[in-house]
Amino acid sequence: MSPRVSNTFDMAIGVIPIALLIALWQGIAMSGAAPPSLLPPPGVVFGRFLQQIVSPAYLEHAYVTLYRLFVGFGIAVLAGVTFGILMTGSKAVASIVRPIVRVLAPVPKIALYPAFTLTLGYDDASKIALVIADAMFPILLATYQGALAVEPKLAWSARAAGVSPLKTLFTVILPAAMPSVLTGCRIGLIISCIVVFLAEMITSTDGLGHLLVRAARNFQTVDMFVPLITISILGLLLNAAFNALRRYLLRGFPEEK
Amino acid sequence: MISIDRVSKQFETSRARRHLALSDISLSVARGEFVSILGPSGCGKSTLLYIVGGFVEQSSGAVIVDDNPVTGPGPDRGPVFQEFALFPWKTVLGNVMYGLDQRGMPKDEALARSRELLTMVKLSGYENFYPKELSGGMKQRVAIARTLAYRPNILLMDEPFGALDAHTRTKLQNDLLGIWEKDRKTVLFVTHSVEEAVFLSDRVVMMTSSPGRIKDIIKINLPRPRERAALLLNRRYQDYVVEIEKMMDEQPETRVS
Ligand SMILES: Nc1ncnc2c1ncn2[C@@H]1O[C@H](COP(=O)(O)OP(=O)(O)OP(=O)(O)O)[C@@H](O)[C@H]1O
Ligand SMILES: [Mg+2]
Repeated sequence: MSPRVSNTFDMAIGVIPIALLIALWQGIAMSGAAPPSLLPPPGVVFGRFLQQIVSPAYLEHAYVTLYRLFVGFGIAVLAGVTFGILMTGSKAVASIVRPIVRVLAPVPKIALYPAFTLTLGYDDASKIALVIADAMFPILLATYQGALAVEPKLAWSARAAGVSPLKTLFTVILPAAMPSVLTGCRIGLIISCIVVFLAEMITSTDGLGHLLVRAARNFQTVDMFVPLITISILGLLLNAAFNALRRYLLRGFPEEK
Repeated sequence: MISIDRVSKQFETSRARRHLALSDISLSVARGEFVSILGPSGCGKSTLLYIVGGFVEQSSGAVIVDDNPVTGPGPDRGPVFQEFALFPWKTVLGNVMYGLDQRGMPKDEALARSRELLTMVKLSGYENFYPKELSGGMKQRVAIARTLAYRPNILLMDEPFGALDAHTRTKLQNDLLGIWEKDRKTVLFVTHSVEEAVFLSDRVVMMTSSPGRIKDIIKINLPRPRERAALLLNRRYQDYVVEIEKMMDEQPETRVS
């Protein structure tokens, strides 16, 4: 099977469980086990979704959520990767950062959210801060572990060519640790999706999470499901984009296809 | 010139456990000399090479290269590792160009130099391949080109042909000798093969294990340029091989230190 054919084949296989899930949903809705006012059938929800996805007001909310997601995730990647790499390169940095990470990593970051809203306000900043706080640690730890495991002879080869230790850190250790870094980033991305939604559900005046809570409070169950569908489709798209990026970045690594 | 002066290396293997890998090694290598190091597995050949390269620090003694004590890696000493240690995320050309790029050589100059080296190791046409797409012998040639690119005066080669089949091995030996005879770099060459050592070297250093010590140094008085076919029929060459092989067999496998 050529790679292209097998790719479409894999995608088709991937669609089946989702189709089954929707069929189950339809089945439950039709059986009358749950009243339509609580569990609207999928057809109705998707119809509403298609309506909303072209409505500027709805898109504005989706855009706000995406903005917080990307800014937060982006900063988390930058900070996590930088600290993770610097920890490998310098014992001093490691001895400062490691205890901090050890204390902060297991803290449920959502508990910090009230403090963020008090200090940063109810706008974007507090949500972005929460995303950073939650997504950064898995990225940092994966980068650090990956960098520690890099074959020392790769770095030696660079140092022997006259490359400075700091440059070696970012031009050899970082790319060599890329498989592990990207695994951390994927976990960070999933966490970011969840956390931005959560934060918007707790306190917000806009964003998809806010729309969901508002609809639920008003018993508009159809409108409650639409943001959920939106975020899962966004998650699928982000995942696909991430995989494409990963394949591109790791094209030279033997274990990657 | 390399002057290794009473170098010892002790590894701290675990709590309160030490392993003396090298004991009191003294050796001088003249400019332009080709010296091989032969010895049983684990006698510290790689460790000695890493110390001269500045990658590993000796426990006592000193290594002086051209009047300067070695304190770290430098572009005057180019290593070639048995494991190739190529950068998997870079193409063949990218690997060879890396050191030149990082040290600020103009792009077109670096490109020209890299292409010239790839031609020298007979790999032109493979510029855009990734290391994973190459055979073992081709990878080793890329590693050699990458090291030669920054024009080290000294080559530190750690069983560079150890992982290769006999045919590729003799081919690369011939190629290496051809390259060496052109510009006479100083070479410190670790090998397991007696024939290889005699074929390539001006002197062969024999080591014993546990702890690694120099047992004997044999001067190889064979005319250059050397040609493999002629050498195989040369009585003196045969005598050297037989003599050194006998000395290797006589070696006590372990010694109480
Ligand atoms: N980082 C290390 N920590 C502890 N012990 C080490 C370390 N590196 C090497 N050794 C020990 O030092 C000794 C010499 O190792 P080295 O790799 O230099 O041997 P070698 O002669 O190159 O062997 P081979 O021919 O198998 O490559 C071995 O006994 C090894 O166990
Ligand atoms: Mg070795």
